[in-house]
Amino acid sequence: MRRVIGIARKEILHILRDPRSLAVAILMPAMMVLLFGFAINLELRDLPVGILDMDGSSASRELIRSMTSSGFIVNGGYLSSRSEIEPGFRHNRFQAALVIPRGYARSLIRNPSTEVQILIDGADGATAATVDNYMNAVIAMTNRSSLPRSLAPSLPLLEARIRYFFNPQLVSAHFIVPGLVALIMVMICAILTSITVAREKETGTMEQILTAPVGAHQIILGKFIPYILIGAFDASLILAIGHLVLDVPMHGSWMVLAGYSMLYLLIALALGLLISTVSRTQQVAMMLALITTLLPTLLLSGFIFDHSSMPVVLQHLSKIVPATYYLRVIRGIMLVGRNWFPLEGGVMLGMTVVLLITAVRRFKSRLE
Amino acid sequence: MVLMYLVKKEFRQVFRDRAMVWIIFVVPIIQLLVFAYAVTLDLKNVRLAVLDHDRTAASRRLIEAYFATDLFIPAGSVGRPDDLKKLLIEGRADMTLWIPRGYGGDLAGGRQVSVGIAVNGTNSSLAGRGGGYAWAVIMQENERLIEEILLKNPADSRIHSIRPVTRFYYNPELRSRFYMIPAVVVIIVTIISGLLTGMAVVREKEIGTLEQLMVSPITPFQFIAGKTIPFVILSYVELSIATTIAVLLFKLPLEGSFLLLAGCMLIYLLVTLGGGLLASTVSQTQQQAMFTIWFFLVFGFIMSGFFFPIRNMPAWAQYLTYINPLRYMMDIVRGIFLKGSTLTDLLPHLLPLFALGVLMFSAAILRFRKRLG
Repeated sequence: MRRVIGIARKEILHILRDPRSLAVAILMPAMMVLLFGFAINLELRDLPVGILDMDGSSASRELIRSMTSSGFIVNGGYLSSRSEIEPGFRHNRFQAALVIPRGYARSLIRNPSTEVQILIDGADGATAATVDNYMNAVIAMTNRSSLPRSLAPSLPLLEARIRYFFNPQLVSAHFIVPGLVALIMVMICAILTSITVAREKETGTMEQILTAPVGAHQIILGKFIPYILIGAFDASLILAIGHLVLDVPMHGSWMVLAGYSMLYLLIALALGLLISTVSRTQQVAMMLALITTLLPTLLLSGFIFDHSSMPVVLQHLSKIVPATYYLRVIRGIMLVGRNWFPLEGGVMLGMTVVLLITAVRRFKSRLE
Repeated sequence: MVLMYLVKKEFRQVFRDRAMVWIIFVVPIIQLLVFAYAVTLDLKNVRLAVLDHDRTAASRRLIEAYFATDLFIPAGSVGRPDDLKKLLIEGRADMTLWIPRGYGGDLAGGRQVSVGIAVNGTNSSLAGRGGGYAWAVIMQENERLIEEILLKNPADSRIHSIRPVTRFYYNPELRSRFYMIPAVVVIIVTIISGLLTGMAVVREKEIGTLEQLMVSPITPFQFIAGKTIPFVILSYVELSIATTIAVLLFKLPLEGSFLLLAGCMLIYLLVTLGGGLLASTVSQTQQQAMFTIWFFLVFGFIMSGFFFPIRNMPAWAQYLTYINPLRYMMDIVRGIFLKGSTLTDLLPHLLPLFALGVLMFSAAILRFRKRLG
């Protein structure tokens, strides 16, 4: 144990000798949660729609008004000819265009059916689909309100009362902040520990440690401990900011959340250590830390993209991403108020043990 | 001539480590593949649990309407309202549908009926869109009921309706993939060019070989050119590989010209290489450089409109995105791939990008000069 403490002490000196990295490791996560927590908003609103009103009647203005009344789409400017539509899409001036043909008002009275055109910039497919749904719904509603009065009283027959649980206002921050916590924690911790062993190899001090009478597991453990402190501090700070500043509710228990966060932290640190033992240079170590944490956590953990719409192969792949489990836990605790996650806890514990043992093994094989 | 030796040395340094070859050539391809399949905002397989108190042909018709597409999949049907809530809490259902007793009878009698839908709102964007689709199914059922009533009174000829005709430009099948892949190309080039340049310089500093270079008769210009040219070449290799995969494997249309894409990339590289160099001049260790570049990378990704639309950000954040080179590059690459944008179309993006590049690169060179002098 004394040897472990010795190694830990040496590692702490390393950290303190570079106060700038330490400051960055502590302040940057806080800054990122604040910045992104406030900036990111997934709710679509105020989508500009270019309007080409060739009729200019009160009926056409009525349609434009009902389209833009909810604020989901807004009038992105009147166009004077069709030739302005495509350049508008290319310069991202508007997301869609509504074309009301000449004679619209007259046709509405005379003909059973009158055509209007909805042209949508489909480059961003998901947004395009939502805009299409919305504009069609407005037209369907307009049609229904123009039905003969003799039928009107009994309509609409069917109604839906929709309630959103756990996040009734559908606030983006409540969904995003837990994801940010997971992303930032895993990256900071993995990058911090990924260089610890690689640095000794690169600067040549590895040989000196190897000649000292300490075992592989003692070195690994000693290098591990100081970073647990930094990681735990970071985690508390960003969770506090998420709850106090960004107003993410806390329906579960802080103690339970602290426990799982600690487990998640250990996984990230162990991952960094493992990377460090297999890399020969700091550059490789840090690149590996970046590659194994940033994109998998952004893409496969359920941070933004839901698992249900992924192909089966990726759904399986997402099971080896630690953040997948941590995200389920942190969202469950904070938003839903669930406190019992046997499956997720078990998997996370298993990951920690496997990563640590592999790191020690790899380190040992280097020794011989 | 000296320059060529420097470039050669840099390449040798990069590829001396087998792991680096993997990181530079294999990992980006894997990223592209994973991205292309993972990054989809299309709604699918929403797990819907049902509580049917009515159990009539009408209620079964509504339930069937929900499961007619692969948008909703059954998550079991239960007998008590409490069970519905339990399924939501335990995360075994994303949405629940509650059909009241007398549903079929009331509808047949022309009385209004309301059904209850509960959505797990944890994932706010998914929940919003899922709720929208659930509502749309109800509206369609409504439409069907109205049509049935209208069929009974065929005498009514006073019905006039508006018929919307929708046309989608650029990506008619609305594949998220088409929107995301061009962005991934930008990300890959950013990581390779920005990160590797910065670390290559700091590495010399940290292990002490920078002093040796300084006492040698190499001019600062040669030094910087020697550090950046290898990564320019690598970036173009990456760009070509990624574009080939995007077009051949994912059938992404390359509407614009590849030459224009390559030209815009050169301006963008000015930014990333300048940024990497700048980060290296303010860092003493590779770790510091890594943290600095990492911070700007994550900032760049998140504030670029890649996953999170800029239009929805608060005003101050929208202003902040104007200093984000990725914001311009995403629009440029997406424009060239999907919309066939031409040089004149892209000027509003290219000019600020060029200004940023010149600014960062000259700042890096100035800082270097000062250290050397």
